[in-house]
Amino acid sequence: MIALVAIVAVLLVIATAVQILKIAELRATESGKEIYEISAKQSKAQAFLLMVFLVAYFGFFAWQVWKWGGLMLPVSASEHGVGVDELMNITLWFIIPVFIITHIFLFWFSYKYSFSETRKALFFSHSNKLEMFWTIIPSVALTVLILVGLSNWNKIMTPISSETEHVLLEVCGQQFMWGARYAGKDGKLGRASVEYIEGVNALGIDVSDENSKDDKIVKGEFHLPVGVPVQFVFRSQDVLHSAYMPHFRAQMNCVPGLKTQFNFTPTITTAEMKEKTQNENFEYILLCNKICGAAHYNMQMNIVVESKEDYEKWLAEQKEFGAE
Amino acid sequence: MTTISLDNTKYKAEIRQKTAKPLLWIGLISIVMFFAGLTSALIVSKSNSIWIKLEVPSMFFISTILILFSSLTYQLSMSFTKNNQLKFATITTILTFVLGISFTVTQFYAWQQLYQSGIFWAGEQSNPSGSYFYALTALHLLHLFAGLISLLVVVTKSLLKKYSPTNVLGIQLSLTYWHFLTALWVYLFFFLKFIA
Amino acid sequence: MSAHQHPHEEQDFLFKYVFSQDHKMISKQFLITGFIMGFIGLSMSTLFRLQLGFPGESFWIIDFLLGSWAENGVMLPDKYLALVTMHGTIMVFFLLTAGLSGTFSNLLIPLQIGARDMASGFLNMLSYWFFFVSSVIMLISLGVEGGAASAGWTIYPPLSALPQAIPGSGLGMTLWLVAMAIFIASSLLGSLNYIVTILNLRTKGMTMTRLPLTIWSFLITAIVGVISFPVLLAAALLLVFDRSFGTSFYLSDIYIGGQVLEHSGGSPILFEHLFWFLGHPEVYIVLLPALGITSEIVSTMSRKPIFGYRAMITSMLAIGFLSAIVWGHHMFVTGMNPFLGAVFTFTTLLIAIPSAVKVFNYITTLWKGNIKFSPAMLFSIGLVSTFISGGLTGLILGDSALDINVHDTYFVVGHFHIVMGLSGIFGMIAGVYHWFPKIFGRMLNNNLGNAHFWITIVSSYGIFFPMHFLGLAGVPRRYYTNSEFPLFENLLDINTLITWFAILAFAGQLIFFFNFVYSALRGPKAPQNPWKGNSLEWTTGVKHMHGNWPGEIPTVHRWPYDYSKLNENGDYVTGEDFIPQIVPLGEGELDGGGH
Repeated sequence: MIALVAIVAVLLVIATAVQILKIAELRATESGKEIYEISAKQSKAQAFLLMVFLVAYFGFFAWQVWKWGGLMLPVSASEHGVGVDELMNITLWFIIPVFIITHIFLFWFSYKYSFSETRKALFFSHSNKLEMFWTIIPSVALTVLILVGLSNWNKIMTPISSETEHVLLEVCGQQFMWGARYAGKDGKLGRASVEYIEGVNALGIDVSDENSKDDKIVKGEFHLPVGVPVQFVFRSQDVLHSAYMPHFRAQMNCVPGLKTQFNFTPTITTAEMKEKTQNENFEYILLCNKICGAAHYNMQMNIVVESKEDYEKWLAEQKEFGAE
Repeated sequence: MTTISLDNTKYKAEIRQKTAKPLLWIGLISIVMFFAGLTSALIVSKSNSIWIKLEVPSMFFISTILILFSSLTYQLSMSFTKNNQLKFATITTILTFVLGISFTVTQFYAWQQLYQSGIFWAGEQSNPSGSYFYALTALHLLHLFAGLISLLVVVTKSLLKKYSPTNVLGIQLSLTYWHFLTALWVYLFFFLKFIA
Repeated sequence: MSAHQHPHEEQDFLFKYVFSQDHKMISKQFLITGFIMGFIGLSMSTLFRLQLGFPGESFWIIDFLLGSWAENGVMLPDKYLALVTMHGTIMVFFLLTAGLSGTFSNLLIPLQIGARDMASGFLNMLSYWFFFVSSVIMLISLGVEGGAASAGWTIYPPLSALPQAIPGSGLGMTLWLVAMAIFIASSLLGSLNYIVTILNLRTKGMTMTRLPLTIWSFLITAIVGVISFPVLLAAALLLVFDRSFGTSFYLSDIYIGGQVLEHSGGSPILFEHLFWFLGHPEVYIVLLPALGITSEIVSTMSRKPIFGYRAMITSMLAIGFLSAIVWGHHMFVTGMNPFLGAVFTFTTLLIAIPSAVKVFNYITTLWKGNIKFSPAMLFSIGLVSTFISGGLTGLILGDSALDINVHDTYFVVGHFHIVMGLSGIFGMIAGVYHWFPKIFGRMLNNNLGNAHFWITIVSSYGIFFPMHFLGLAGVPRRYYTNSEFPLFENLLDINTLITWFAILAFAGQLIFFFNFVYSALRGPKAPQNPWKGNSLEWTTGVKHMHGNWPGEIPTVHRWPYDYSKLNENGDYVTGEDFIPQIVPLGEGELDGGGH
């Protein structure tokens, strides 16, 4: 019943609109011009709206920054993240003024030069000087961005040198949860493959491999010692996933059939971050960031960063794989 | 590029003369890009540790010779047509078609050779290197079928005496496509032999 | 055989309308089909925005429209992914590639270069009907068992290869692949025609540097398409092999549904490389025609030559070339060799330069112009704004170190919707407003057009600008809801605001559809040259005829941008502020802006 009323209402609206348009067309022809002719007055009105829009657009931007600026990620909790955030700031300091200036020119010119019967437009078709000017300046700016970007990228992608003490941690993605495995005292991860998945051995670790005996599998959350580099090894058991740890400015795809890696050094403990964000429920988090199926939106694991002592204590409590 | 005055009702034929070849050439470029995608895929896949380097089956050598010959005979057919030796033209065109069919047959024999030496297309015992072998040659063959169809059209029209020294566009288009198929096969042959 | 008999001869209905080989009719067919698909894509996004803005809330309309895809008026999580996937596929390919290029390349190429029709009317007709068939198959895939493809429009395997991973990867995905193969064929057939027609069938006097920038953009777009679409076909074919035959091009070491799969030796990353080799040029295939259309409209409505004609061409060539070597910036976090990552950062940031040049040239065209604000002009200015706004955030995403934290977040969603989605659709809509008189012989209503513009630009920015904040805060894309993470609790309001703007945007498009249908049927008859433009399309009759010009095709004597050209006395050369291309050069008059 409601559907019928709705349909009739829509049809009535359309019929009314058609009549209004017909009347408007007649009115126009009566005053000697066609309805589609655009007068200087009409252009001026749109030009005025363009200026209003410019102000509103900038206002909207400012409003968003004011309202949501505080909801962004807190300060980087990893070493390399500091450089990344700096690069982000530099880039924003470049982008935002360009955004503002170009928009001002775009809308101001539109407004200032709206149609007038008496004015002639200027036949100005090209200027090699101008073209060079605005080719060279962006090139210089972009070169700076590229150089700073690449120096950061190189730092991030450099593997941990083998002499440095580090945590070796494998994170394995599957539909729809994470499995984490520490390398244990031997500093080596035991071989693992989907062929070995059976029953409790959900991560598919090769029981016969010596290196797997002291590996420690954890669920629900994994811990990291502050100030110590952690070398991640990522893999997946089924489809593509992505290990995204936004607080640490870290992300790496988990690919079935391929091991990927990422490393960073956490610099702020969970307790310290709770202080900084004034949120006692704060937790670092690992989330999935590559579409992986129905429950992609709920694939998470907590991360706890703590002092080295607390970490060692916690790790000692975790069961070894070979101990079953 | 010169322009034409296109104001008479025979303009459709004029346009065909002018544009048929460029249309074909751009179509050929798209086919090249298709195989470029597949061959670069192979190169990427090759870096996987599981990759087995395969030997090209001996039948492929025969395939290569057959298709090279077929390009020769088809080119001859074109020359004969231009020289108004239409009967020889028809014969060489039919010969080309026969060679094309023979090429097809050797392809199937080659696949049989592969299968018998334990190289499978798919399934548990297959290896990506084998899959690429079958895929690349099968896709080439598919394009060759289109060439065979165009050959049939040319043979038919040739028998119906539709071609003359001044009317060779149809043969030219089919011939260009056929040479392209030959060149593509030679490329695939060497690529599979030395890279895969 | 059809078409070009004596102009007065009647053709039967089937050849005149349905299987027409006349480029103007084919252009209309692309436009209508494109808009219908676009409306479906738009409806899909409005629906899933309801879920995102009001997660878990029951809506009658979701229950009514989605049937078994929803439970108690709430859409199911995997069907949410199906809607997202199909929305992306339909909008990028069916609306903004076929709808945009198909319509305007077909309409404008013969008319603006001075040709009777395309090089091959037959291939052109096939191009449209392949597009139609592809659209039908794509829509059918919505109704099959398991649902439509659900692995994102980017359909990465293994998710897209395994029905066990998500139901949509069964029959729905198969039909998606079939539809796309046919779509690619359609696109290639079109590109063939566009390239050959532009290069070979220009009228006397129409040198390459007298072509309107629309034609240049269509040419470069078509070339990019010929180079890149076949690679997508190769990628899709290998995926078909993996799905249906058990090969292992993309699959390896998979345990799913309680068993280990037989595939071994493949790599999903290979798919990503092949996909993005098309995928990145694809966004320029969307963008370049929109930019070409903008050049035309901005210059005509400002009564000024487009500033920097040659620089515009060079920029488009640079963009076309560079677009083929930046694809890796979609894959920075796949674990690719860091050196490769550096190379792609470099080439990606390079492509910003010709883009910037184009923006500056548009703005300079406005300077000291005499601007009439038709709806087409408003949308063109809007396009320059969205191109700037969306393009600048590309500098963040293209920088590999920065991309780590924003890859696959809402920051990306905001970026590509603004720079490609909005710029693309604004270009298409502007083109429709501007060339409506050429397509339908009638005029669209300007007041409705202006209202359409204002509602659209305000609501569009309202939808996509806030997404940058969501992305910077770490919210991933393709999430059914953000309510499962305490991290995102404070951000739920942003989602609600975005949804309200989405509903407003949807409503705004209804005004346009009404205007479109009304004006096509009963709008005021168009004059010969409503915008007082210089290019050749305005010299053809308002009523369509096969062959476009009765008698001889006009000869061209000058470039198309002689607006407001003055003689030594400071008066307009012809007495009006424009000089059509067919007007011969005066004594001592230089062509092409004095080059």
